[in-house]
Amino acid sequence: MATQTYNANPTLFAPSSQSFRKNNADTLWLKHSDTDSEEDEDESPIDAQEVFDLLRSINDPEHPLTLEELKVLSRDQVTVEGNHVTVEFTPTTPACGMANVIGLAIMVRLYRSLPQRYKVRIGMTPGSHQHVAQVTKQLNDKERVAAAMEVDAIMESINNCLSTAGRRGEK
Amino acid sequence: MTCSLQLVATVIGHDQRVWQAKWNPAAKLLASCSADRSVRLYHYTQKENAITVDLAAVIETGHRRSVRSIAWAPSGKSLATASFDSTIGIWEPVNGSAGSASTEWECSSTIEGHENECKCVSYSTTGTLLATCGRDKSVWIWEVQPDSEYECISVLMEHTQDVKCVAWHPTAEVLVSASYDNTLKLYMDDPADDWYCFATLKGHASTVWCATFSPCGKFLASCSDDGNIIVWRPTNDDDSIVGDWKEVCRFAGHTGPIFSISWAERNPMDKDAVGLLASGGADGSIYLWVVKPGGTTAEKVACIENAHEADINSVDWSEGEGGGLYLASASDDGLVKVWQLQC
Repeated sequence: MATQTYNANPTLFAPSSQSFRKNNADTLWLKHSDTDSEEDEDESPIDAQEVFDLLRSINDPEHPLTLEELKVLSRDQVTVEGNHVTVEFTPTTPACGMANVIGLAIMVRLYRSLPQRYKVRIGMTPGSHQHVAQVTKQLNDKERVAAAMEVDAIMESINNCLSTAGRRGEK
Repeated sequence: MTCSLQLVATVIGHDQRVWQAKWNPAAKLLASCSADRSVRLYHYTQKENAITVDLAAVIETGHRRSVRSIAWAPSGKSLATASFDSTIGIWEPVNGSAGSASTEWECSSTIEGHENECKCVSYSTTGTLLATCGRDKSVWIWEVQPDSEYECISVLMEHTQDVKCVAWHPTAEVLVSASYDNTLKLYMDDPADDWYCFATLKGHASTVWCATFSPCGKFLASCSDDGNIIVWRPTNDDDSIVGDWKEVCRFAGHTGPIFSISWAERNPMDKDAVGLLASGGADGSIYLWVVKPGGTTAEKVACIENAHEADINSVDWSEGEGGGLYLASASDDGLVKVWQLQC
């Protein structure tokens, strides 16, 4: 899908310490009904670490590296208050044409993994991109996200990004 | 002054999120549409304080993507569907009346024109015009001709972004559209020329998800991703609706975006008020508001928190027989719920 590389030589960062929670392993392909069960919620209240673990190993659309390795996403960019989840990410360059894809991958991953009562807002680090307002408005428009998720070509690239998400920080 | 909404029916059936649920204006039918690409029709019967809802028909629409919006013709005899697949479907009973439980529905027309996702569809009060809108930033007006023929009479490219909603005035042939560009626009026909935009309403800080005229036609309400509801009225003191409109009041209550509002004509609590406004949003709550005479203030009279466990995408009032007021809500949780107003 990408015909142009927006950042050919990104800076790499080592993953932070391993996740302390490895329950439920990979929830990537579980249906909502599975993650929704009372039992599941009782055992693992969702906190910022859990959300970060769900997202940290998503593959960058342009490089065989994770969002964590590229510092597109770090643990302290995730906040959870009640059922409100906020994720801020930092594109590797201000002109990154893949910011929409990265944001959509994060949204889709959380849509598939979190119980429905969780509300996700996505943001970008101020000044990290030339179109912060434009991109974040689109990513937070549920109708636009729903429509994008019905387009095979878009979901193909999203699913590629998500193919590594289940590693949750492990190599 | 308080009132409440009593849950009287929970309708299960869709496999995915329900985008809208709308009452048939003539028959005892409730229709819902979903990301599962189907429309489900429910027949209902009322007995004093109870309502029984039975599945009447499932229309597998053949739309290739989500059915985002539905609209009943004022006659109640045809139903329009707007889909992310860019087309509009028109559905009519094969035989018999729309209200009969055994009726089968068929596609009598498929309308093409939009470049991509259609977001909303709406019939004018007389049923002679149909409006549609979509992500291609356009609003289309179609003339309803005999034998389910729809002829495009205008394409309005006034918005700079995605158009989320279109709604007609209850008595005049005036249309409102609401957009991702944070504005609303009003249109009418110039008999000597084409349809044109005569007012642009600015006030919301983010996407305007839904707009609806008051049943009396003197006011307009809009709701937004910014969490506000704004009531607008014409600037002219003579109540002429053609001209500029101004914000007369705004109110908030929901946490997060408000996706849908519906304005009931009657208000059992306050007969002088401008009806009763219901709102539903991403917080899964339903609020009821009494808009005071003149539209300059609104009072919150009820709040049903967690009416659904997920986003509420649409609310729609129906004035039932025997004076009952019912509200249908549709949600990302895949359910349609029916609420009865109790004062």
